[in-house]
Amino acid sequence: MKDYIAKIIKNEKIAENIHAVTFDLGEIANVRAGQFGDIAVGGTHLLRRPIAICKTEGNEVTFCYQVKGEGTQKLRDMKVGETCNVLMPLGNGFFVEENEKKVALVGGGVGVFPLISVLRAYAETKEISAYIGYRNKGAVCGVEDFEKASKFVAVTDDGSYGEKMNAVQAFSKDLENGNIPDVVLSCGPTPMLRALKTLVEEKGLPCYVSLEERMGCGIGACLVCVCDLTNGKRARVCKDGPVFNVKEVVL
Amino acid sequence: MANLSVNICGVQLKNPVIAASGTFGFGREFNELYDIGTIGGVSTKGLTNEVRLGNPVPRIAESRGVILNAVGLQNPGVEHFIEYDLEWLKNTGTCVIANVAGKTLDDYKTICEKLDGKVDMIELNISCPNVKSGGMAFGIKPETVEEVTRVAKSGAKNTPLIVKLSPNVESIAENAKAAERGGADCISLINTLTGMAIDIERRKPIIANNTGGVSGAGVKPIAVRMVYEASQAVKIPVIGMGGITCAEDAIEFLMAGATAVQVGTANFTDPYAMPKIIKGLNDWCDKHNIKNVSELTGTLQLNAR
Repeated sequence: MKDYIAKIIKNEKIAENIHAVTFDLGEIANVRAGQFGDIAVGGTHLLRRPIAICKTEGNEVTFCYQVKGEGTQKLRDMKVGETCNVLMPLGNGFFVEENEKKVALVGGGVGVFPLISVLRAYAETKEISAYIGYRNKGAVCGVEDFEKASKFVAVTDDGSYGEKMNAVQAFSKDLENGNIPDVVLSCGPTPMLRALKTLVEEKGLPCYVSLEERMGCGIGACLVCVCDLTNGKRARVCKDGPVFNVKEVVL
Repeated sequence: MANLSVNICGVQLKNPVIAASGTFGFGREFNELYDIGTIGGVSTKGLTNEVRLGNPVPRIAESRGVILNAVGLQNPGVEHFIEYDLEWLKNTGTCVIANVAGKTLDDYKTICEKLDGKVDMIELNISCPNVKSGGMAFGIKPETVEEVTRVAKSGAKNTPLIVKLSPNVESIAENAKAAERGGADCISLINTLTGMAIDIERRKPIIANNTGGVSGAGVKPIAVRMVYEASQAVKIPVIGMGGITCAEDAIEFLMAGATAVQVGTANFTDPYAMPKIIKGLNDWCDKHNIKNVSELTGTLQLNAR
């Protein structure tokens, strides 16, 4: 974990309302798939924006973000050559065990980006099937990365790209066809994660989900971004997560 | 090099910069970024007698220049802190200030008894709802401020007691005096201002608790004014806080009457905020030929009106 003074080398739109910013950190950061960075956009924005790390390559790190409020609008408007403070890598990340050969990625919305980091980390050693749901054709992104998976199923809510269904339905359909993974990794909207939880519990599949929550410090000190655990306790999404065993977390 | 050390109620701090309660946990996470033994003190996450899970999420929102939070005192309980965190925190070399809260007067007494003699100082959070007075916070009226202070002090016989004042009151000076009458050794202010931020698409408050405590750079002028008024009203030392982001901000509070300052929200914007403020204080003192930072306290000269 380090607070990098990160220089923007690319910041462009990649899909409807989705932008990708690439920073030069000036050195190689040791990042695990599914970790995130906390980006300071400056000005009157006192909170940093916690965003999943999508790719790292040499000194470069890429974050993909949805332009939603003033902070992400400010990030969108930042130019190549400008700098941001980026505290990273944060959180636990996804970890695929040695004996888990077949990995299913189930993602939707901005949840697809941490899954790209999984794909990049494990594409050469694991058999990966990616089931990715988008709102519509305009929202489709990351295809060039997901196509590196052994199998890539893209679906949309309105059927404008791939079949008209959601990512969990696409995954379920493939399970029926006998494509059973050793582990399921997921990130996306909470209703999607809930549906996935029901499905994997029914099928008895191990599953890890990456959660999103409004954060304060980003490093586990302030207890702002908690989630409920099934044992009655609460965990910090930023420090104990963002990745949790789906069995242990209340969605 | 200026002498940055300050003395509050007989407790020597390396420098006047203290981590504000609730923004710094028990220090472990920030210690991964820098040696927290270099900061003047740590006011711990608010401790209660019992384990508390806190409020539902979302617990935080942002508005220009400020943030709002409603964490709801999530903490592992005072006994857990004493057993698992206190020794570690002491060993860092920073001054340990245990921030405590309760629902009843008795809560305040017992929690202070448990911590008495074990920590460098105790800071009372009196912005909690008082169960007996229908949920109105202890810190609102001078009478209850005095009463809760007196009861807490009876439990903290051997430990300097700081009373953290709420700004959501009629007269900060009256409440400061009430704390002093109740036996406070020191006061700290300001706690957060109560606010609300609305998600207009959902027509609902962003924070699950509906209202939250406002803090951050934007509250600083209010805090400076209140620190000035409170420090004029009492003889006991004052710890100032509210929106401090840089050394110059801290100096404003010292001049307004504070002996030390606390830094909270700035830790979120920049996790290195406190070491930077400490360095900035030294640089400013050197540049202005000030040998001891304590010389700055209360040196404000009002304009002739």
